Amino acid sequence: MVELVQAWLQRPNFIVFVILFLWGVYIMAAHPNLVKKLIGLYIVQTSAIFFLVAFSAKDGATVPIILADSGAVDATLYANPLPHVLTVTAIVVQVATLGVSLALVSGIYRKFGSLDEEEILERVE
Amino acid sequence: MSSNLPILLFLVPFVTGIAMPMLTAKRRSWCGPLAMAAQSLMVVLGIVNLRTVLSEGSIEYALGGWAAPLGIAWIDDPLAAVMVLTVSIIALLTLIYSGVVASSSLDKSMPYYTLILLLVSGLVGIVFAADLFNVFVFLEVVAISAYALVGAAGGSALVYAFRYLLLGSLGATLYLLGVAHLYAVTGTLNMADLAVRLPEIITSTAVAGGLIYIFLGLSIKMALIPLHGWLPDAYASAPGAVTPLLAGTVTKVSLVAWVRIEYSLIAPGIEVGHVPVLVLLEELGVIAALVGGALALIQTDLRRMFAYGGISHVGLILIGVSLGNPTGFAGGLFYLINDAFMQAALFMIAGAMVHYYGARSLNDLRSMQQRSPWLTGTLVIVAIAMVGLPPTGGFFGKWNIVLGALEAQHYLAAFAVVASTLLTLAYFVRILTNWFHQPQTADSEPLVVSRSLSFCLGFVSIAMIALGLLSDSIFEFLLQTGGGV
Repeated sequence: MVELVQAWLQRPNFIVFVILFLWGVYIMAAHPNLVKKLIGLYIVQTSAIFFLVAFSAKDGATVPIILADSGAVDATLYANPLPHVLTVTAIVVQVATLGVSLALVSGIYRKFGSLDEEEILERVE
Repeated sequence: MSSNLPILLFLVPFVTGIAMPMLTAKRRSWCGPLAMAAQSLMVVLGIVNLRTVLSEGSIEYALGGWAAPLGIAWIDDPLAAVMVLTVSIIALLTLIYSGVVASSSLDKSMPYYTLILLLVSGLVGIVFAADLFNVFVFLEVVAISAYALVGAAGGSALVYAFRYLLLGSLGATLYLLGVAHLYAVTGTLNMADLAVRLPEIITSTAVAGGLIYIFLGLSIKMALIPLHGWLPDAYASAPGAVTPLLAGTVTKVSLVAWVRIEYSLIAPGIEVGHVPVLVLLEELGVIAALVGGALALIQTDLRRMFAYGGISHVGLILIGVSLGNPTGFAGGLFYLINDAFMQAALFMIAGAMVHYYGARSLNDLRSMQQRSPWLTGTLVIVAIAMVGLPPTGGFFGKWNIVLGALEAQHYLAAFAVVASTLLTLAYFVRILTNWFHQPQTADSEPLVVSRSLSFCLGFVSIAMIALGLLSDSIFEFLLQTGGGV
């Protein structure tokens, strides 16, 4: 048990990921306000991106641009570009989702005059 | 030309969808014909692609000319060829059908056609992608178009679309987390490359965790019980011009994505912590098939009943592909294609009922004065296909799943298929008794439906029977995907 806790404490970035993820899911599930649910979703998505960035971080590495005349390449000197590309794509997807969701929320507000999920569900029934 | 077919199949709907607002800025009436033309071209390309794959075998397409482990690979194998043709046919039928039932808010609107085309391009992308991250991007293209299309009906549909969005995005995030786990362990995203590297480390916690995240994410997308909560409300309130495409393809294509991952990464007999993975998936399918069928039986709303029927079929297909033998695998995939047509047909009927009679619930069916022979005929054929009687494709799919289950000696799975068949029969008996309930004044002429609706209904009916008649050759063809199970 003690070793397990020690092993966890040596990975603070993954603990942050877990906290962010659970926090976001909790907000999504617990808050009746639709915009707050969206904020929860945003935190969940951010935690996934944080995870990607956390495991691809590298001490003392530089940008992966290789000059034509640089000869043999030592891969350990460069950061791995792929997780960062994934991160950027995931952020774009997140922005698109956010746009659609805000459009839906504003539509709901215009139609039902409320952002409270319970009130809205009562009016839908 | 033929080697570029996969990307052409993707680009036709994608480019048309993106260019739609510009091309039709002056003349809004061009939207419909333009979308229809793009979709017809796609059906033609889909047939050519199927013929190419039939004669020359699978095509591997490297995007931008970068070869597989470094670049992004697409694979055009028998499963992909059949699925793409199915998706494009259903999309074309939905566009034709939308002319009949389009609601006032959707009628001939540019966003509707743009979103449908983007949805189709995303579906094609998922089917072809042999790269985990590509699947994520296309899943989101599909999902974002689907949220907007569900919400387009306005009113309560907005609320259900928002719920769909919350759950769908959570699913996508879980999928991304899974991909990140697998990438952190193996350093690759290509499925073929992963299949080489994973077996040595399949028991590590990171791989197991990654696969669980991926499965959870995709099971939200494919509405596997108990993660199906978004589907019935969303499909029951979405506009009629959209539901045949959504119900017929979106959940099925998410399932195809999972089948690809499962098939290339999880070999039969693999155990993680003394749990045989495939048997576990099969049991989840058993639960979904039985619970979905039981929930369909107790619904009173026609579209919710059909939606739960689709949910139970997702379970059946998952049983088939997780049996670990070629018979069950081909049976599951064949049933998946059938199910796409059956769901499209069911929601076309349901949409037409709302449009012509305003009938939403089973009780409304009773008071229907004149019934259209087209609607009745199609409903009977779908009922036969859903229950699984011989001339239709539904029978051969279920038959092979049961044979596969017996071959693997998984009697619970075989029992679940039979039991869910009985549940399907039970809820169709409920629908048909209401449908054929004789009204007091049965003297009026039967309703004449528009020609495009009768074309759509006739086409799906013929498709369901033709799939049954051609089942043997389709099985052989699909087995080339699962040849090495």
